[in-house]
Order: sequence, then C-alpha cells, then structure tokens
Amino acid sequence: MEKVVEVNFGPQHPSTHGVLRIKVKLDGEIIVDAQPVIGYLHRNAEKLSEMGLYPKALIYMDRLDYVAALNMELGYILSVEKLMDVETPERAQWIRMMMVELNRIASHLVWLGTHGLDMGMLTPFFYCWRERERVLRIFDEITGSRLLYNYFSIGGVYSDLTPKGIDMIKEFVNTFPDRLEEIQSIFQKSYIYAKRTKGVGKLTLDDAIAYGVTGPLLRASGLKWDLRKNQPYLFYEKVNFDVPVYTNGDVYSRFLVRVEEMRQSTKIVKQVLEKLPDGDFYNKKYAKPMLVRMKGSGESYVPTESPKGEFGVYVIGDGSTIPYRVRIRSPSFANLQAVSIMLKGYKIADLTATVSSVDPVFGEVDR
Amino acid sequence: MIPIESESKTKDGTPVVYISKENLIPFMKEKKDEGYDMLLMVTGVDYVDHLEVVYHLLSTKDGRRLLVKTKTDEEVDSVTGIWPGANWHERETYDLVGIRFRNHPNLKRILLPEGWVGHPLRKNYPMDKKQYVNLGEDGEDKVSYDPKEGY
Amino acid sequence: MTDSILLTTLDEALRWGKGKSLWPFTFGLACCAIEMMSAMGPDYDWARFGADVFRDSPRHADLMIVSGTVTKKMAPRIRRLYDQMAFPKYVISMGACASAGGPYVRGYSVVDGVDKVVPVDIYVYGCPPRPEALIQALKQLQDSIASGKVRH
Ligand code: SF4
Repeated sequence: MEKVVEVNFGPQHPSTHGVLRIKVKLDGEIIVDAQPVIGYLHRNAEKLSEMGLYPKALIYMDRLDYVAALNMELGYILSVEKLMDVETPERAQWIRMMMVELNRIASHLVWLGTHGLDMGMLTPFFYCWRERERVLRIFDEITGSRLLYNYFSIGGVYSDLTPKGIDMIKEFVNTFPDRLEEIQSIFQKSYIYAKRTKGVGKLTLDDAIAYGVTGPLLRASGLKWDLRKNQPYLFYEKVNFDVPVYTNGDVYSRFLVRVEEMRQSTKIVKQVLEKLPDGDFYNKKYAKPMLVRMKGSGESYVPTESPKGEFGVYVIGDGSTIPYRVRIRSPSFANLQAVSIMLKGYKIADLTATVSSVDPVFGEVDR
Repeated sequence: MIPIESESKTKDGTPVVYISKENLIPFMKEKKDEGYDMLLMVTGVDYVDHLEVVYHLLSTKDGRRLLVKTKTDEEVDSVTGIWPGANWHERETYDLVGIRFRNHPNLKRILLPEGWVGHPLRKNYPMDKKQYVNLGEDGEDKVSYDPKEGY
Repeated sequence: MTDSILLTTLDEALRWGKGKSLWPFTFGLACCAIEMMSAMGPDYDWARFGADVFRDSPRHADLMIVSGTVTKKMAPRIRRLYDQMAFPKYVISMGACASAGGPYVRGYSVVDGVDKVVPVDIYVYGCPPRPEALIQALKQLQDSIASGKVRH
C-alpha cells in the first residue's frame, strides 16, 4: 500500500536560512511534492516606500537582501536617477562598481559558509566569516556601517574613499584569491560533499527560463547570461572579467559558479583601483539637503545583476517628491519558486542541500 | 496581428505596449513565440479610477525587453499557461493589489495570511485599521480585528 | 544558621552556573541574524563567554535571541517556540525591529515589539546592533542571572 506522508519543514528550521516553510509530501524517503510557503518576513517594503520621499525608500532597499545591501541600493538608485534625469560623475560610478563587487564577495561568502553548515561542515563557516569580516571592515571604514549602509545617494555616493580604505581594499584583493583557494579545497577535497551535491537538485535550462530563474542558478544550468556582460550598466564594459558557466544544473555546479564569481569580482575590484579617476564623488548640482525635494515623473526599470540574479526596481513617479508605485523584482522570489521542481523525485536528505543552493534571503523573497 | 492600443517608452528606453485585456492571452502567446521566453515580474498598479497590470518580458536569446500593460477592473486572464513562473507573481499581485487572475491554478494569498481583509497596495487601504493574526486549532492562520485575539 | 549559609551559597553557585552555560537557540529572523552569526564567527567569537552551544531545537535551548523583524504571520509561531523551551528561559530582543518595530513600525503586517509576544529580558538597540553590542547584552544577562535579578 502506498502511503504519502506530509511533513512540514520550517518556518523555524536551522537550515532554511530564515523563515521559510516547505510543505513536503513524502513517499517513504522520496519527495513527491514540495511547496514552499513564504510570507513570514513580509515587511511591507513596497507600501512603505510609497509613503515616504524618494531618498527615504533607500533604507527599505538596504534591508531587502541584507547580505548584499549595496547591490540592492544600486538597483533602486539607478532607476530613480533615470526617473529624475540625474547625471552621476564618473568617479562615483567607479566607486559604486567597486563597492558592489566587494559586496558580492561578502554575499557569496555568507552563502558558502552557511552552505557548509547545511552540508555538515563547520570549518568552512569560520574560514568564510574570517574573510567576510575583512570586507565588512572595509565597508565600516568607507561607509561607516557594517551591514546596512545607506551609502549610495541620488547623483553619487555619500562619502569618498579614504586612503586607509583604499589600502585595506588593496590588501584584501591581494590576499583573497589564495584564501579562496583554500576554502574551495575544503569543499572539493571532501568526498562526502561531492557525493551529496553532484547530480542533486537538478534544474534543466528550459525549466529555469520558464520559471524566471536568474543569476548563478541560471548560469549553473548552462546559459551564459550575466547582465554585467549582456546589458552592461555602470562601467562594466570597460573592465575584463569572465562569466563562469556550467551545464549540469546541480548543487555542485552552483557552488563552482559562485566560487568563480568571487574570483572574477576580485579581478574587477583590482581593475577599478587602477582606473579610478579623480573628481567629484557626487553631483554638485544636487547637494544633500536638496535630495528630499527632488521630483520624479514617468516610469523606469533598470535591471542589475545582484548576487542572486536579476534585481531591479520598477518605479513609477507622478511628478511629486513621493514615488507613486515601487515594485521590486527580487531574484530570490523567482528562484525559490523553482525549488519544487528541483526537489521532485529526490530524497528528503537532499532537501537541505537544494534549498541552500538557491541562496534565498528572506528579506528579499517576502519584501 | 493583434491590435495594440498604444505604444510608448519608459525613461530607460524600454518599449511599452498597451493591450486590451481581451487580447492579452493571444498577444502574450505571440510574444512568447517571438522569443520573449522569460517573464520577469507581474506588477499591479492602482490608479484609483482603474487598475493596471504590467508584465515585464525578457528574451534571454538577444536581451530584448518589453513591457506589456493592460487596463483592468480587478479581473484579467492568467498567463501561467504560457510562463509557469507567473504563478507566484500573480498570487502576489492578487494578494497585495487585489487583481484576480482567471484560470490561475492556485489563486490564494501568498505573503499575507489567509483571511486578511483588504489589499494593502491599494491607495485606499486603511493603514490605521490594524489586523491581528493567531494560529488556529488546525495550525493555519486566523485573522481578526480584535487585539486580544492575536499579535 | 549554618544551613542557611549553605543554602545561599548553593543557590549562588547554581545561578552562577546558569549564567555561564547559556545555550542559545539558533533562531534567525532577518538582517540582525546575520550580525548574530558574525558574533558567533571567528572575529567576535562569543564562545569566549560561555554561550557557544547553539541548539537547533527549542527544547534544548534556554536563551532565545529574537534577531529581526517580527511579522504578524510569524508572531504566533515565535510564541509556540518560546512555549516549547524548558525553564529556565531567557529572551534577548536584538535590534530596533524586535524591540519596537524599527523602520517598519508604520507597516501593516509588522508587530511593533516582540515584547507583545514573549517576555523580554534584555533589549539591544541598533539597526543592526554591532556584534559587540550583542556580546554586551549577553554579558549583562549573565551578570543579572548570577546576581539574581533575572529569574525564570
Ligand atoms: S533592526 Fe534593522 S537590521 Fe535588525 S532586523 Fe530590523 S531592519 Fe534589520
């Protein structure tokens, strides 16, 4: 007699990286159906953004994907600048690009560390956090904050790079690749890790596209699609970097993609340091007290490549100082939707590996 | 050829087409065949006198983008048959803006608990009227206006 | 007379022991949870203060750190988790959100303060609080347990 058992996984579970609940239907050990239930961290970012001035909505953007706050700010700021026809000085754009890449490294390191925890490895967590703390100290020096920065402003950034900050970045990019090698080898030398991730949580390319999956997941499924290359914003067309692509679409490929992305980001940061021009770090026409009086009209959506995938904010302005509608395109939301396909037919023990390979951040899924 | 009501461009240069809601499904099918294989998101906008649904389309082959807009009065056909990924996006739009999608496989609230009254992203949503949530006997959420009934 | 002296000392020893062997509950809600993980991490290493055994089940833990925004959908679940913890149990409310709603206080689905849901012993301010602040809160909680100010 066949018997299907329904198991609730979460909303409080140490390996869901937040408040995710998955309703799993099990036949023995095999997953028949898995439905993620979300909304446990719905913080009304869209409504609250419509209730305040343009610069004020930035704090809610920070708190979307809280491990990569600058990437979130960038998506919003670029949209708003289009809406208001604001020019940004070159130096500010280069600074933005560098900070965003550093934040990408920090975000992937959080993922790598917690992914290790999910796979039963405690060591990588400490290695990854050690590196991440170095990035956070750089941010602390330059922006004055460790996790949520509120650093990008309309028309530039809030503060210039400090000489000490530049030294710290230089030191970081020079030593990080070797350390990353070390971290990667912890994973790759582990026979258990390879066994538990190779061929697990497969997502075919067709499914990935149909479900709107973007970012490292899409690249691990075999499509070379990176907005930094395909539709460059900022100055990404002026720097050299590769886009890693793997075709297996399993958890192991996602791991390889993310590790390689960190290496490429380091490369970008190095190039930015060389090319950084002198000049203003914000548009002198719009001094900081002016920002609250800026008006936006029309609509705009600028897609950016966040660590999780395509992120953008669709802003509609009605000619006043308050945005009329703010709609956030959050990559994790779409990626998480594909989890039910990735899990079907696998064992319950593969669930933690698969869910953590998606890298969902709930601030962004639920908004 | 399906008639387009009007065309425009967003500030960042993406083309926008307006389509009547009767023609939405055939038009979307046509666009999918034209290569727009990814649906990025579904947005509902409340313009007080009418509602509008905005679809962001992307072609991963050549990177073209397109915004499709349709005016509606609370009900519009679901595009889940064309892009299965529309499922959650439409549920969210239903949840927050209150647009019902016909033929959607599972049109339930996604972010807010089942039983919530009103759709918060409507411009006339009463923000001062608080609702409280608690767990029912069966483990599902229960919503009420009474502060003693929940958190 | 001697009895009572012995009793006080035992009680004190017990309190001291309780304070120095807190087992926190792995329970992250939002952004603050990342800073909590930083406090656990190698740089801040709060294992130094005797609270490093993070437990995945509420039944093994005696310290709940509410790190993040408490939404209305999550609040009843937090209460249930709290009820499942064995006595003695303590709660640290970490960050502006858990303490008073933080930046989301005007929202429609956010509980303004976790103290509406569970009793809180220590509040930590900041958005997010730095790991140092969390460690200070832990020290404070330990001291007040040891001195008998907090009992559960
Ligand atoms: S207090 Fe700030 S950092 Fe902490 S959960 Fe709330 S918004 Fe996030």
